[in-house]
Formats: sequence, structure tokens, C-alpha cells
Amino acid sequence: MEALIAEGLAGKTILITGSTGFLGKSIVEKLLRAVPDVAQIRLAIRSSQRRSAAERLEKEVLSSPAFKPLKEKLGEDAFAALVKQKLAVVEIDLGREGLGLTEENRAQLLSADIVIASAAAVEFDNPADLSAQTNLLGASRLVETLAAGEGSPHLVHISTAYVGGMLRGLVREELPLDPGLNWRHEAKILSTLRPVVEEESRTPEVLDRLTKQARSRMGPAGTPATARTVERLRDRWVKDRLVERGRTHARSMGFSDIYSFTKAMAERAVVELHGRLPLSIVRPSIIESALAEPFPGWLEGFRMAEPIILAYGRRVLEDFSGLPDALLDIIPADYVVNTVLAVAASPPPEGEYRIYHAASGSRNPLRLRRMQEETQAYFQKHPLRDRYGQAIGAPNWTFPPRQELESKARAALKAVEAMQWVVERLPMTGMADFSDNLNETRDRITRGLNLSELYGVYTEVDCVYDTRNTISVWEKLPAAEQKAFPFDAALYDWTHYFQSVHMPTVIRMARAETGLRKGKQPTGSTAPPDSRDLAVQAIRKRAGRADVLAVFDVDGTLVETNVIEYFIWMRLKSQPLREWPEFLGGLLAEAPRWLQLERRSRAEFQRSFYREYQDLDYEDMRQLGREAMNAVTLRRLYPEGVRRIREHKLAGHRVLLLTGALDVVVEPLAELLEVEVDCAHLLVKDGILTGDLQSPPPAGEARGTLLEGYAESNGIVLADSFAYADSLSDLPMLELVGTPVAINPDARLSAVAGQRGWRIERWTMPPGNWRLPIPDPRSKEYRSQFA
Amino acid sequence: MRPGAVVEVDRNTPPTLFHYGEGFRLERLPLGSRIIYPPDPMDPIGHPERAIRRALTKPIEDDPLKDLLRPGMKLTIAFDDLSLPLPPMASPDVRQLVIEEVVDMAAHAGIEDIQLIAAIGLHRKMTADEIRHIVGDRVFTAFWPDRLYNHDAEDPADNVQIGKTSNGEEVWLNRRALESDLVVYVNLTLVPMDGGQKSMSTGLGCYRSIKEHHTVHTLLNSNSYMHPPDSALHHSCIRQGQIIEDAVRVFHIETSLNNHAFPAIANFLQKRETDWTTSDQAAFYALKQATDLAPPDLKRTMFHSMLAPYGMTSVQAGQVDKVHDKTLEAVRSQMLVPVEGQTDVVTMGIPYLGPYNPNSILNPVLVVCLGLGYLFNLYKNKPVVREGGVVIMSHPTRYEFHSVHHPSYIDFYDEVLADTTDSAEIEKRYEKRFAEDPWYRQMYQQSYAYHGVHPFYAWYWAAHALAYLGDVIVVGGERSTVHRLGFKAATTLEDAFEMAEQTVGRYPSVSHLRTPPLLLAEVE
Repeated sequence: MEALIAEGLAGKTILITGSTGFLGKSIVEKLLRAVPDVAQIRLAIRSSQRRSAAERLEKEVLSSPAFKPLKEKLGEDAFAALVKQKLAVVEIDLGREGLGLTEENRAQLLSADIVIASAAAVEFDNPADLSAQTNLLGASRLVETLAAGEGSPHLVHISTAYVGGMLRGLVREELPLDPGLNWRHEAKILSTLRPVVEEESRTPEVLDRLTKQARSRMGPAGTPATARTVERLRDRWVKDRLVERGRTHARSMGFSDIYSFTKAMAERAVVELHGRLPLSIVRPSIIESALAEPFPGWLEGFRMAEPIILAYGRRVLEDFSGLPDALLDIIPADYVVNTVLAVAASPPPEGEYRIYHAASGSRNPLRLRRMQEETQAYFQKHPLRDRYGQAIGAPNWTFPPRQELESKARAALKAVEAMQWVVERLPMTGMADFSDNLNETRDRITRGLNLSELYGVYTEVDCVYDTRNTISVWEKLPAAEQKAFPFDAALYDWTHYFQSVHMPTVIRMARAETGLRKGKQPTGSTAPPDSRDLAVQAIRKRAGRADVLAVFDVDGTLVETNVIEYFIWMRLKSQPLREWPEFLGGLLAEAPRWLQLERRSRAEFQRSFYREYQDLDYEDMRQLGREAMNAVTLRRLYPEGVRRIREHKLAGHRVLLLTGALDVVVEPLAELLEVEVDCAHLLVKDGILTGDLQSPPPAGEARGTLLEGYAESNGIVLADSFAYADSLSDLPMLELVGTPVAINPDARLSAVAGQRGWRIERWTMPPGNWRLPIPDPRSKEYRSQFA
Repeated sequence: MRPGAVVEVDRNTPPTLFHYGEGFRLERLPLGSRIIYPPDPMDPIGHPERAIRRALTKPIEDDPLKDLLRPGMKLTIAFDDLSLPLPPMASPDVRQLVIEEVVDMAAHAGIEDIQLIAAIGLHRKMTADEIRHIVGDRVFTAFWPDRLYNHDAEDPADNVQIGKTSNGEEVWLNRRALESDLVVYVNLTLVPMDGGQKSMSTGLGCYRSIKEHHTVHTLLNSNSYMHPPDSALHHSCIRQGQIIEDAVRVFHIETSLNNHAFPAIANFLQKRETDWTTSDQAAFYALKQATDLAPPDLKRTMFHSMLAPYGMTSVQAGQVDKVHDKTLEAVRSQMLVPVEGQTDVVTMGIPYLGPYNPNSILNPVLVVCLGLGYLFNLYKNKPVVREGGVVIMSHPTRYEFHSVHHPSYIDFYDEVLADTTDSAEIEKRYEKRFAEDPWYRQMYQQSYAYHGVHPFYAWYWAAHALAYLGDVIVVGGERSTVHRLGFKAATTLEDAFEMAEQTVGRYPSVSHLRTPPLLLAEVE
């Protein structure tokens, strides 16, 4: 034969499912570029919620870098013309019974000569229902529809080499051993899991646990924020649960994960249903970057080996489990594409099926040890850089047993989580750095554990995939096509593949830093950097706008203190020295209860604490509040906070202090700063405080509402406004404005601010100002009160 | 009284005391260095009350106070604030004695409209306790708070422009003082810079009048401002004072003190090391250990509660200039030490207290003000250190600020000094902004903060020294802070001398100012 592939495909109409995926678009690209005589390529694409099928073709297929070399070779116009001539979109929804086909679409589908089914949910840890829907039901629906038609197109079903589960020895190109499973039954169970799990997630036990978790994390931020967190946690719980159900299900059947399990079931389904259609099943092993086409290193999305490689290079994985002599069956993407095309061009007789492995193990084995050596060699030459720009040395893996490694990691994780539990409950600021560190460590361990759980089995594979069928096709190819469509794994060398193709790709895709760039070397200058304060610049950018508001929390944000200190000072000031011990003792006894309340909700704490003001004279307290300002407030007022307020005022912004502190202590401060204030007011009856509040204290979600109300009645544009706060209870307020700033945040707010990319600032008091909140008992002024 | 002395360091000289903030260092100076000791305290006047009464009845070139008082008149008594004396004087303060005498006379004359104003100028307002300490319980109870209060230089209703000097300098005065039939000014002069016409023009003035002479230019032309005839600052004050004298009837009372600055418990600080007895040495050792270990806050509380057993050496009343001449004579006779020639290096220990931090913190800016502003300028004719020479100070210079008293100092340090330490640049680019900042104005008026412009004046005070000196080295100073101030930090005095040699050459001549107690070096 002159040209097997070119002739086999000439004049044929090819329909491809899963063309928005990595393998699918690679096949489309190769067809466009290398098989000019193809009649038409039909891409089965489903409209998504956001995009129509045609848009998805443009945005998710054609704009991919895979097409760049072709576009450059032809020029944009010629490329567009080619696309117009050869490509067509067929709306097919594999997720629906009957594929959701219109008559026109059905005709397009059934009139195809070759159908390549490459649609799959390829993540190993997909939820059970998603995997079953796409991999199993999707495939069976497609083959059913085709078989029900009149033609007999050649169906090329893309499967995976791992459908056999964890086998040992030689795996032949034939149907895997049947464990006695009915794929229809399995599909039904898995695809209907979601409602069950959703139901389960709403049982009181689960919801209570999630609510407790959410409250501990977001409690002070108010009910809506907590509710949102509960719902998010529940969503996550459902997904995790579905993943877990899928994984357990698959493992109990002898498969490593839900992906290979559903793919195995799919093979059974297509073989059962294909009827008269000629059926080819291509089973690639682990598909990694393309060796040469469309360009060396073409890869999309992180697949299996990349996270491990990066974790290795970043020293996140100090060690990894596995058998050093295990076969790591990696196959370059372009080799898989060529296999698929060669297989597509040589259909089996009608009604028969043939299976092809696209794998490297039998022709060019890559062992885990080799892979580690290659990776290490690469990282030695091009080390990753830490945030100081220093090279990170790649570790030596010793390949301990997986169980040992994982149990070690779990123990470490427990220890870290215990520390976090403690840190979050400590009633002090300044732990943020430590807490961030803990977060980082926990993430690192979790990542390692996940990698080990997901991919660990693949490093213990002790089998070789037979490629006799594939090689027999290869041997039929004329020399010219062997050159244009290489897929014999013996053709390349792994050192070349890793050092020049795959590793650079991984590094590029991770945007990781290797090698020092020019001009980046430190100059050694100790001159202070240009102190361009970004915060101040943001303020000045909005100068002169009266519709911009800067809202400040007071306690803990502007002032390094809390409502208790004022109270102590004011009360001590108004009673003689001999009564102090009794009073302080009483407060001390209440302290644990207050700490507990404060953790749950700031408003509850304040309400409870303000009871202490019962029966005090309002005018006296006002007078004392004024004095407390000099003795307490101003000694704890952050200079940077004051500077920031002044900067806002200078820029013409409105400044509002929004606080749950009492009017008697905050109003003098607001007067001094010449800003507006909204604070808690105690109920006064006949000049005496009752200990009740006039209205709920502005804390938690009340602050959000207050702020919104204020903005509305004053014509404030919140999106351009600023908010400064220190605690999670201020979250509703911070969320409302365009520029939220976390000042000396507690661990919980620090975590939230970090996630959302908010500015975090640390303000400090100049040393020498700290005083116990007690008046000077030597003062004549103090003594003369009681004379 | 034993006069001051200039002593050469030889093998037998005991180690020399250096004040070091709220602590001390005992240092061995290089052989051949000289130590300049202040004179011992003069004997105080035996019966201060009697002397005061005599001064009031026989004033200099003025009518006796009794003759100036008449029923129905508006009388204002203004008095110096807590920046004087240092440390604060043990009760009774001389101002209390004088004020009680004046108030008694006024009461006797049937005057009802009496008000007492603390002439704080742009200093911080004094607290009730602080005012009570100066005026005494009797006066305080009778007048506080309605008729005894702090001057407010920022209240537009309280300050009136009364004219301009021949040099075009604005003159402003407290409204109550201006509208009074008689102002009695009660002064306390500790160093020759204080008192005279400067009392009213700065103490009861406002930023617009004070800024006329508190400039880098005047201070660079005051050699030194501890010697009024050579001081552009004082010339300007005198011009303003004359305008004030034309506008309001002033009866000026000045007092001077001896230099008995330390109470018995810290007597060794008053004495020369050569005179230290065993018990002095033991006391020093105990205090040194305590201050080495105690946290700064605790030390400050301890030191700031220390009161000085000053004794009054003179009191005179009458016409401002004539009175002031006599006061200066008395001050000089207590402080003056003749010194022959200048040296390459001058060393000085910076104590815990300067004029602007009673009951407060001597922040880094005030360290400069005290060392290079006040101590450096305690000379007549010419500085003890030669032009281009080096001053070595010892102070911990921690990054510490009192947030109530010195809010503008924090920003001055964080913002202005981060940009430049050049006085003229600072004056040009930042002074107006700070002076008019509403936040500092609020803090000055409503709280106990120094005026927004005050850190600038503290810095200008050192302008003359900064222009004159070749280098400044701070022994034991916090490196980052000292660097911000534009100086060099040395760990030990030996290192400081090695560093100084790079500026003044090998084997420099050295003088140590063994102060406080304060002295005035008359350099030939």
C-alpha cells in the first residue's frame, strides 16, 4: 500500500467527540495539518451554559496553542479558510438520553464514516456520578445511537491502558477479565449517587457538624457569612463524598480509581452494543507532552506526572513511595494521535472489534528510578527557585512503602491541625505569622498526601502493556508515513524526551522560576527603597471625591485596646484605692466567660459586658470617658492609623468610625479626629445607665447593614471606598467596600484576607507607651476626689 | 562654693560618669583628656519669702507692685511652664512662693479679677497635677480650673496680633493678657537662654509670632543662644518684647536657682568622681545594676518621680531688661567655668530628661535637641569643640515615643527624617504642613500634645551644631535610629574614639562635659 493513513482517511467524514479536550484537539489539529484529503471533520460539541457550541469551537479549540504552528505556516486567512472548509460543529450532548440530537444533527452524526470517541472525564478524582455519566453512559449512548442508524461507521473508542485494573505481567490487547459486573447496573448506581449523597449531606449529624465548623471559622462575621460558609462546606462535602464513594467503589472492584473503572465498564458497553459497526479501541497509557507535533512539548492542563514532578522540584515531596523498578508507562501525546489516526484508517471487518495499546512499556520501558534520575538531572541543571531566588536542591527519593509514608504524613498533619486549633483560640494578636506558617505546612502535607493517594498506585504498576496489534499496524505503514505519523515508542530516547521536551514544558506551564534572569541579581545597595506607600497612593488616586468613604473599626484597628480596658480605667478612676482589689477580682472571675462569648460573637460579648455599666451615672461616665481618652485611648492609638485617617481627610474623603465601643469613650476620640462616628449607646434612665443598649451594637452583620444605610443616605460609592478592620466580625463591613484593608488581623481574618487578596497591614505602637489601664494612684487629682 | 574645674585625666583618675538615658555608663577617658566639672551649688537665699517680698517692694526701675495694684483692675499672672527647671523642683516651687505672694498682695488690694495663665507657648498643656505642683495647693484650689489655666496658642479668639516689629516680625499676645490692666510675669531662669523678653513673646505668643525667630536662619546666627548678646534669636525676642511692653503694662519677676539638681538619694550624680565616698560608690553600683536590668518604662517612672532640691539664688522684679540683666548675672555666677581653648572632640552623656519631656519620653529627636541643641550650646565666646570637630554622646536612642505628648514627633521621625535631615530643607518643605495640621492642633488643644511644629524647633535647635561639627557619634545608641538621625552609632566609647579619629586625626584632644548639673563653658 502506498499510504495507509492518507488513503484510509481520504474522502472520509470524521466525527470527533471530546474535541475540546487535550487529545481531541490534538487529533483535530493533526488531521487539519497532515491529512489534507479528509472530506470533513465534524466536532461534536455541546453548548455550555455560557457558550454556544460554535463559540466553544472558537474559544476552546481553535485558539489553543496547538494550532499556532499551523496558523503561522498558513497565515491567518488561509487558516480560517481551511477551518471553514473542513470543520463543522455538531451539537451532541453525551449527557442526555438520545444525545439531545436534532434531526439535522442526527443525520450529521450517522453519515460520518469514522467516529472517534475521545470524550472523557479524565481526572482520577472526579465525583462518581460525573465519571459514570461521561465515561460510561456517554460512550454507551453514542454507540447505541450509531448502531441504531443505517450506516456502519468505524467507531474508534479511546479508552485507557489501565482498564485492566492493577494487573501483573503482560496485559494483552483484549477485553479485560470480566469480574462479573453488569455495566448497566454499575452505571445506574454511580450516576444516581448524587441525590443520595445530597440527602445524606442534609442529615442533622452532617449539617450540625458543618455548621459548627463554619461557626468556628466565621462565627463572628455574622449569620449570612456563616450560612454561606455552611453551604460551601456542604458543597465540598458532597463532592468529597462522591469522590470517596467513587474511589471506594472502584477499589472494591479491583481498580485503582473511578476513572479506570468507568472506562473499563465503557469498554464492555461498547463491545456489547457495537453490533455491526467495526469497532477499534485505543488504550493509551499515561499521555504526556507531545514529542514533536504540533510542537515539542505541547501539553494542556496538568495531568498525572506534572504535579509530582513539580512537588519534587519544590521539595514539597521529600520522598515518594513506589517500586523503583516499576514501569511508568508514559506515552507522548502525538504518538497517541498518530496511533488513533492509523487505527482509524484501518478498520476491522464489520461487526468485529480490535484493541490497540498506545503504550511505551513493551518497546521502550521507562522505570520509576529512571524517571526520578532524569527529573533530578534536570532540576540540578535548572533548579527551581524559592522566594529568595535561591536554588532548591531536588531531594533523593528512597521509595519507602506507601503505607509507611502516608501514615507519617497523617501524623504530621494531625500535629499541625492541633497547633492551629490552639492558635486560633489564643486571645492575642501577633500570631498571624505563625498561623500563616502553619497553614502553609498543612497545605504542603495535604498536597503530598493527595498526590500519594491519587497516583501512588501508578508507581507500583508491575505490568507491561502488550502492543502487538499496534505494532502490526505500524509495520504496515509505508516508510514515508512512518516518518509523518510516528507512533512506535522505540523511536525516541527518554533522556531526550525529559531533558528537552517534557521538563521544560512542565516548568513553563507551572510558571516556575528557574535560573536567574539578567538584572535580577541583587545590587547590594542598602539604601532604603523608595518609600512609595501603596495605600497612600490608592487614597490619592481618589482624591477630591466626596463620595468616597473610609470606614474604620476602632478597637484593635485604630486603637490597640478593647472595651474592657476603658471600663477598668474608668471604674478604677472613680473609686478609692482600697476598693480596687475587690473590683478587679470580680472582673477576673468573669473573664473566661467573656473570652468564650467573644469567640462566638462580638455582639453577644459586648451586650454581656455592657451589663457591667448598670447603675452608673451617665454624666460621670461621660466625664471619665473624656479623661480616659488621654490616659488610655491616645496611648494606644496607632500613629499609622491616625496618619491614614488624615490622608483620607486630606483627599476629601468622608471618614466614619464604626464601632461597638461605647459613645462615652469613642465620641471624644471622634471629636479629636474630627470624623463621624457610629457606636453603641447605653440606655439612660433618669441619668443612670441601665446596662442595656439603646439598639443592637454595631457588630457583625449589623455593621454591613449600617454601612449600606449610611452609604445610601450620603451618596457614597462603596465600590470606591475603603474599610479598615482587624477581626472576622468586621467581615460584612470589609466585604462591602472596594478596598478592604485588614489591620493586624486575627488568624481567622488573616486567612480570609489572604484568600481574597486583600491588603494586610501591620500597625504598631511606638514602644514606651504601654501602661496598665489603671489611673496613677499617686496623682493628687485622683486622691483629691475622695478627700 | 567651690568653682567649676577643668581636670586632666591621668593614671589615677577614676572612671568618669556618663549619663546614658535612664541609666549610666562609667567610662575611662583617654589619658590627657580633660573633664569639665560644673561649680558646686551656690548657697541658696536663706529666707526666700522675705527676699521675694523685698524684690516686690523694691523693684528695679519700676514702681513697687503694691502701688500698681488697685481694686477693680484686671490682673493676670503668667508663669513659666514645666519645661523649667529640670528636674522639677521639690515643693515648694519658687514660682509657687512668688505667685502666692503676688496673689496675697492682690487680694489685699481688693482685686477680684485675677487669672493665672501658664505660659506654655507651643509646649504641651500641663495636667492638673503638674500645674498644682508649680503653683501649690492653695492657689490651685482657689483658681483651678476657671481662673488658672494653660495658654492656648491655637484658639483664634484667644490670640491677638498687636503689631509688627521694625524688622516686620508679627507680634501676637494672649487676649486676656492684652486686655489686662497689669500682667505680672513669674519667671524661673535655669540657663541664660530663658527669661527676659523671651518669656512673654514666646510663652504667651502663638505660631505666627514664634515662627519669626524660631527659624534655621536665626539659630545659625546665634553663637550661642545661651549668650543673649550674641544671639539673633534673642534680638528678635527683644524686638517683639518691646512691642508688647508698649501694648500692656508688665511687671516682671525673675528668679534664679543654684544647680543642686539631684536629691540626696542620687547625690553621687551631683559630685565629682574624685570625691565619691564608699557609700557613693555603693549607691552608684546599686543604681547602675538596677538601671541595667529594669525595663525602660519602669526606669522612667522611677526617674521622673525624682525631684530636685534646688535653692533660690536670686529674685528680682521690675522692668524686664534690667531685671533680666541681674538674673543672668546670678545664673552665670552659678554656671560659668573658664575653659582654655577648644578640643577636637567633646564627649557628653545625655540624661533621661530634657526641657520637652518631663513625665514623658526623651525620644530620638529630643536626644538630638538636648545634646546638640542645649548641651552643645552651653558656651560663651566659642564652643568647647573646635569647628569641624566631633561630638560623642552616649544615649540608648531607642525608637520610643510618647504618643500623647509627642504625636507630631513620631510623624516627624517616620516621615520627615526618613526623607532628609537637612534643617533648611526640612523647614522649607515640611514645617508649614505640620504647623497647620488639624490633627496636631486638636491634640495640642484638647489633649496634652506639643504643637505640630515643635519637633521642627527641636531639630532647628541643633542646626548650629550640625553645621559646625565634623561628625556626631552616639555611643550605645540603637543603630537604626542613630542612622536615621544622620549620625554614627558606636558600641563602646573606644570605638567612638577610633571613629572620631577618621575625622579629626590621630590623638585628638578631648573634653568631657560632666553635666548635668549644668555648666556654662567660657572658652577663651
